[in-house]
Amino acid sequence: MHHAFKLGDAEHNVALSRGPGVYRLHREGHTVSVTLAALHNGRALLSIGDHSVEVVVATRGDDVFVHLDGEAYQLRYRHPLDRLAASAGGSADDSIRAPMPGSIVAVQVAVGDAVTKGQTLLVMESMKMETTIAAPRDGVIEALSYEKGQTFDRDALLVKLAAAGKA
Amino acid sequence: MSHPSAPSSWPFDSVLVANRGEIAVRVLRTVKKLGLRGIVVYHAADRGALAVTMADQAIEITGSTPVAAYLDAAQILAAAKASGAGAIHPGYGFLSENTGFARAVEAAGLVFIGPRPEQIELMGDKVRARNFVEKGGFPVAPSAIEDDDPATFVERARLVGAPLLIKPSAGGGGKGMRIVRDLSLLEGEIERARSEGLRYFGDGRLYVERYIENPRHIEVQVLGDAYGNVVHVFERECSVQRRFQKIVEETPSPALDAALRERICETAAGIARSAGYRNAGTVEFIFGQGGEFYFLEMNTRLQVEHPVTEEITGLDLVHEQLRVAAGETLRLQQHDIRSSGHSIEFRIYAEDPGRGYTPTTGPVLVLHPPQGEGVRWDSGVVQGGEVTSAFDPMIAKLIIRGRDRSDAIARADAALRDTVLLGCKTNTAFLRRLIAHPAFIAGDVHTGFLDANPQIAADPELGEDRLQALLAVAAMSTQPLREGADVIPELHAAIGDWTN
Repeated sequence: MHHAFKLGDAEHNVALSRGPGVYRLHREGHTVSVTLAALHNGRALLSIGDHSVEVVVATRGDDVFVHLDGEAYQLRYRHPLDRLAASAGGSADDSIRAPMPGSIVAVQVAVGDAVTKGQTLLVMESMKMETTIAAPRDGVIEALSYEKGQTFDRDALLVKLAAAGKA
Repeated sequence: MSHPSAPSSWPFDSVLVANRGEIAVRVLRTVKKLGLRGIVVYHAADRGALAVTMADQAIEITGSTPVAAYLDAAQILAAAKASGAGAIHPGYGFLSENTGFARAVEAAGLVFIGPRPEQIELMGDKVRARNFVEKGGFPVAPSAIEDDDPATFVERARLVGAPLLIKPSAGGGGKGMRIVRDLSLLEGEIERARSEGLRYFGDGRLYVERYIENPRHIEVQVLGDAYGNVVHVFERECSVQRRFQKIVEETPSPALDAALRERICETAAGIARSAGYRNAGTVEFIFGQGGEFYFLEMNTRLQVEHPVTEEITGLDLVHEQLRVAAGETLRLQQHDIRSSGHSIEFRIYAEDPGRGYTPTTGPVLVLHPPQGEGVRWDSGVVQGGEVTSAFDPMIAKLIIRGRDRSDAIARADAALRDTVLLGCKTNTAFLRRLIAHPAFIAGDVHTGFLDANPQIAADPELGEDRLQALLAVAAMSTQPLREGADVIPELHAAIGDWTN
């Protein structure tokens, strides 16, 4: 079965199988043997093919955090079912997510309001800078997640628009 | 020579720290070293913070937001009273430069570890501070305000000298501003600026100030006692900034030779002396490429970047603050203060430089601070903690000391490489790219340097080997893949690949 990880904006397909004493990573037509031996406090020794390198690994939910060669990376596991659902329908435009962590300065719409593309829905503040969140398309507000003064993390769902056609 | 514990003659034997994060930890370290009782206030969002664990007593304060709690002078004074604190250290930010708070602390019969309230007031008003400094004969950027005497405005503007900047008095946001590099064009440019001012703001009044091209930010640490004695503790160069906020600070400044260093440091000490300044303070200057410098402002508190000064002088600036606040005379004369080596501080921020330095949040799942000779890590964040958007996104300060600047840069690169923080994106990789830049290595930076070199902030291409290693770690660390691998025959997995 294929799995995928999101790293930055790109998604990468991989599969893992079990060989004698090692795992094998399958990716883009190539196969390479892999072992990951845990050391202590998150440190681990990664052997890949005939190379070895020390890494630090932590996981939380679907996120895998890796410190490799002086830099930290975040990879997010994409569940096969979610990917299927995403490709079958539902538009990313329906969900308006926070571009950065911050707090709500003003909510300028209410659930049920009809909005037009470009209309300001929310004003948020992050790092003493105000940013407006505008409607990505015409539609109707289905849900608002936060009230004025509340704080949120990056990627938090701020506003949901009713699916196109439902309005 | 210096006794490890505070003398019993001091008017306080306990200090309440009215702050949070790394600076609360920093102040408490010295308070405890001196055998004083350390008290800290905290909002629930900081319950697990290092400062709370470290303090002899921690008192919870509340607020409509976490920040509001730390700005609530009445609650903090009540906490001081309840805990029997004899003195309050405000740290930086929050109430540290609030005249009303300093007055209230003194009115409550407590010692405020900082300057006199009227000194905070004087330096807190930019115009008043500038006028005060100018009257004292110290350098301020030449300027001319049309309203002062419209009839002589052009003559006075000419005296400002080129290059100069014409600004609409009613203006903002850069509209209507004009840079004049050739004074023969001055009158025409004034007329154009006036018509733009009228068009944009309905107001044609102007003012003119000297324009500093590619300026540096250089500041000087000063210390004063209650008896008029003032010394400087050398300069700090803080020119590497993003969004007008410092991210790398170092001392000595690579821009100064011995004579210029002496001149700027003595100027700062002179300004502080003329104000009768008490406690630790910092005089900030704007520094031009030609070596000219002008007073910018004075910060009447301990600075974020004070550790680099400590690293090259061996002083504990918080200890000096406490001595002065206790009424001691400065124990150091100017010639007692020596500097050796080079120190650079890096602000480790929870932010994503590749996305316009936007702040990030997340859990601190793993934190391995760097170690080694010349490496200091000042932080209030611990493994298991959380970086939230409730406060400033500074996670830690990495302070490096080296024999000289290139030694410090080499040590910094190793320390940044060895800094492991997982769960929340930080700027460490960006800082490594920054210090590898030829202009940084040459010490040739200015406050607009990062804006002029956006490629430093951009995420570099990921090489194929690194991508493969990351995916291997991710696959091996993700349960569905491990479980799948244990039950799926290898051949099947491989075939799956081919049919992709």
